Amino acid sequence: MSGIIDSYIPVAIFLVMALVMPPMTMFIVKQLSPRSKAAGKYTTYESGSVPTGTARIQFNVEYYLYAIAFVIFDIEVLFLYPWATVYKGHGITSIAIVEMFVFVFILLFGYIYLWKKEALTWVK
Amino acid sequence: MVMDIPEFIIPLIPWIRGIVGLSLVGVIFLGAMGAVWLERKLSADIQCRMGPCRVGKYGLLQLVADAIKLFTKEDLKPRNADSLLFNSANIFMIGSVFLMLVAIPVGAVFINGVEYPLAVTQMDISVLYIEAVSALSIFGIFMIAYGSNNKYSLLGAFRNFARMVGYEVPLGLTVVSVAIMTGSLSIVEISSSQGMLWNIFLQPLGCFVFFVALMADMGRLPFDQNESEEELVAGWITEYGGMRFGLAFFAEYIHMILGSFLVALLFLGGWNVPGFVANNSVLGLIAPTVFLLIKVVFVLMVIIGLRWAVPRFRIDQVVDLSWKKLLPLALLNLVWAVGLGLYLGA
Repeated sequence: MSGIIDSYIPVAIFLVMALVMPPMTMFIVKQLSPRSKAAGKYTTYESGSVPTGTARIQFNVEYYLYAIAFVIFDIEVLFLYPWATVYKGHGITSIAIVEMFVFVFILLFGYIYLWKKEALTWVK
Repeated sequence: MVMDIPEFIIPLIPWIRGIVGLSLVGVIFLGAMGAVWLERKLSADIQCRMGPCRVGKYGLLQLVADAIKLFTKEDLKPRNADSLLFNSANIFMIGSVFLMLVAIPVGAVFINGVEYPLAVTQMDISVLYIEAVSALSIFGIFMIAYGSNNKYSLLGAFRNFARMVGYEVPLGLTVVSVAIMTGSLSIVEISSSQGMLWNIFLQPLGCFVFFVALMADMGRLPFDQNESEEELVAGWITEYGGMRFGLAFFAEYIHMILGSFLVALLFLGGWNVPGFVANNSVLGLIAPTVFLLIKVVFVLMVIIGLRWAVPRFRIDQVVDLSWKKLLPLALLNLVWAVGLGLYLGA
């Protein structure tokens, strides 16, 4: 086995399979299933009452705050991945650990700030 | 392997691996049917019911009957739905689990004492890759909900989104803690390095955080706010019927099985059992895979059992649990793993 690309060729094959399979299944269903037309069948389900308005309305800003916090912390985790593979056995152990603790400490400070500002509290 | 391979085949090997590996798709669909059956039987046992018992021995053919039913149901799309999103969402659901399947080893064989993992492909960064593609399913869920233009669906999808973003962080941190012990991001290397000491004994806290975060990630019952039946009918999947629902449902179950594989491979020692050495050739071919599958079924049964043991959390409790409890615990576990890695690796 040589080359990084080689290990991703099976991924491409599975991706094609994933693109083909659901439409193919739905095509088979279309051939097998019965059809009937009735006006009420195609309305949106809303517990039996007539649907009022669209569902695409403005949502609570809460979700947005969590998304921002998520972006910050997920990128932190992403930086830890390459670090995890090299921090020991490459002659940089002590400096790597000090740097990582500084990095995590700065983020921890931001985390405490978010907590104190109640950005992590669900508004009821 | 040991035998001679003709020169012209070598560049074709990845293609052959991929195409032969597609058979795994069939196997995993059968596995998902088995998991559905297991869930129904186990749930029935827990509640002192019979469960499926009419179709086939022990109701084993119930899922075949269900599949036939799904294939012959009419494909319905509400008038107000967005056809592009509504029709293509399943590609993300199915694509997410298929792409996970490529990188996860489903067993291993030992030939002359050398280990060959049964994975379709092996990458240097497979744990990172698996985490990335497993998060793709949230796009599918959101496309279904936004495409259906249904209020229940959209509420469910928003809750799902709030939950997912919270639990991805502890999940990623515990995976890093495991990678630190091995110094590798390859799931095969992580698994085969746990020959004597499983990671669950080295990092019990990490295993706990990973398991809880994984349950939330898969949307299993204490964390299924996205489809809480009592308030949201069926949540994000309300407008999805027939085979559309079937595909999304199967994708969720395959996600659950692959999640159990991850727990078994990262924390329960993969195909290793302490004290077992594959010196017999026949045993070396079969035993490691059987060990791994036993562990996977065990994790599955724990997941299913928890469904009936813990009631569903409210959405604010769920978000609090991830941001205010699991995240500090995961950071603590990271520090512990760094120290342990230095102590053991010195």
